[in-house]
Amino acid sequence: MKKILLAFLLVGLAALAQTDTQWALEQSTLTYHMSHPMHEVDGVSHAAKGKGICHAGQCDFLIAVPVKSFDSGDSNRDLHMIEDVRGAQFPMVVVRAHFPDVSATSPTIYADLDVQFAGQTAQYKHLAFERVTRGNQVQISGTIPATCSDFKIDRPSFLTVPIKNEIPVRIEMTWRQM
Amino acid sequence: MKRKGAKIVFGRGVLALSLLIPSLSSLAQVAATLSGAITGSAGRVVSSAQVSVKNVQSGKSTETQSNSAGIYSVPNLTPGDYEVSVAAQGLASKVARITLTGDEQQTMNFNLNAGSAQQEIPPNKSTAAPPADLANAPSASQTSPSLQDLGITPKQTQGNAQMQEMLDKRTHMLKVHQTLGLITAIPMVATVITGPQAKAKGRNGQIITEPTTANLDFHIALGSLTTGLYWTTAYYSTFAPKVSGVTPKGAIRLHRALEWVHGPGMILTPVLGIMAYKQENAGEKVHGVASQHGTVAYVTAIAYGASIVSISWPIHLKFWK
Repeated sequence: MKKILLAFLLVGLAALAQTDTQWALEQSTLTYHMSHPMHEVDGVSHAAKGKGICHAGQCDFLIAVPVKSFDSGDSNRDLHMIEDVRGAQFPMVVVRAHFPDVSATSPTIYADLDVQFAGQTAQYKHLAFERVTRGNQVQISGTIPATCSDFKIDRPSFLTVPIKNEIPVRIEMTWRQM
Repeated sequence: MKRKGAKIVFGRGVLALSLLIPSLSSLAQVAATLSGAITGSAGRVVSSAQVSVKNVQSGKSTETQSNSAGIYSVPNLTPGDYEVSVAAQGLASKVARITLTGDEQQTMNFNLNAGSAQQEIPPNKSTAAPPADLANAPSASQTSPSLQDLGITPKQTQGNAQMQEMLDKRTHMLKVHQTLGLITAIPMVATVITGPQAKAKGRNGQIITEPTTANLDFHIALGSLTTGLYWTTAYYSTFAPKVSGVTPKGAIRLHRALEWVHGPGMILTPVLGIMAYKQENAGEKVHGVASQHGTVAYVTAIAYGASIVSISWPIHLKFWK
């Protein structure tokens, strides 16, 4: 009898342990914002690809998006942007996010990010992302507080006035459990 | 006799074949590919690391660089012993040996430790230990996805230094174009203002015989300066490198469309001006097509001003769409 109870206990404990899950990026909107006294510019990309693995209580997500996929509505400005961020030499923005595997009811995820862009790598700690679960899909939204100096980007100027150093990137993503 | 002849032919055929076989075998010689990931401290990827693969026997070296994902790949290597050297700025170099056999793809990853260079920490960011294991290794991982898992090929992450150089040149020339274009607006406005004043004054309304007043001379000088600056500005725009496959979109379309107005205008205006000057010099009142010099000049100046405004207009007021 004791052996049977012990067996049930072990099985129960195993069931309680977090199982591995894998996630694929279904849809995404990444928007960078650039400020200048004469212009406010938003460049949007829907071309991100991503995958995530949650294993042993930790999640590791990888998102990659081509630099040239960002569209600000002006082709001339987009080409200048690609040149300024060395987009021909470093054509991809790669974001790796690491965060604990929280329960499905938690509305906020706090993640550590490693962002590779313009040939540089910048780290962002404990960023908050909103999470909304819908069936087997999860919608994540938040903002990465990126700056030109983080990635050693020369700030472009117009009429001798440079843009602001802050270039926050708004992220809205829908992930599907695989 | 026939048998002897056949033997000779056969023998020659065998000889030819034996000479051909080494050539055939060299054509069929296998080629191996060496690739791998370059990482730094805490598994961070190292891009633009210099990788040199040297055949120990022949001494021939093949150079490459790691891409933005820290991946390098050297194809078409004949089997043999190789010395692989990896170097990156601020990190200690590494050298390793490998023997390539057959036509397989072999992997050799490098982890470079920090050298004497200090790593810059961005302001207002925590200096706590970074997340573990961020290497984008070519092989699949149970805990950490890679770029290949996303379906992103090495070609997509491969940088193009030539393209970057071309974009750099393009940006430089367009910046000069922008600066000169703004400078050109100054004498252009002054020319337009001095235009109505640039009439050689006759005596009591009589026919003008010699238009040599200071106003006219000044107007001509300003017009010449404007023309020179204008075409220098146009040169930088015309000869800035073009990027193929890009569809013009946004305010730049209006900016380019207006050049079809002020461009011909900047040819006609000085031509008509010269005609008008000659007529006045001949003692005639300006007449015929030359009398349109002023009108053409105004249209040209307005189109030029609109061209500047179209590219500078605050982005949230998109009236041209």
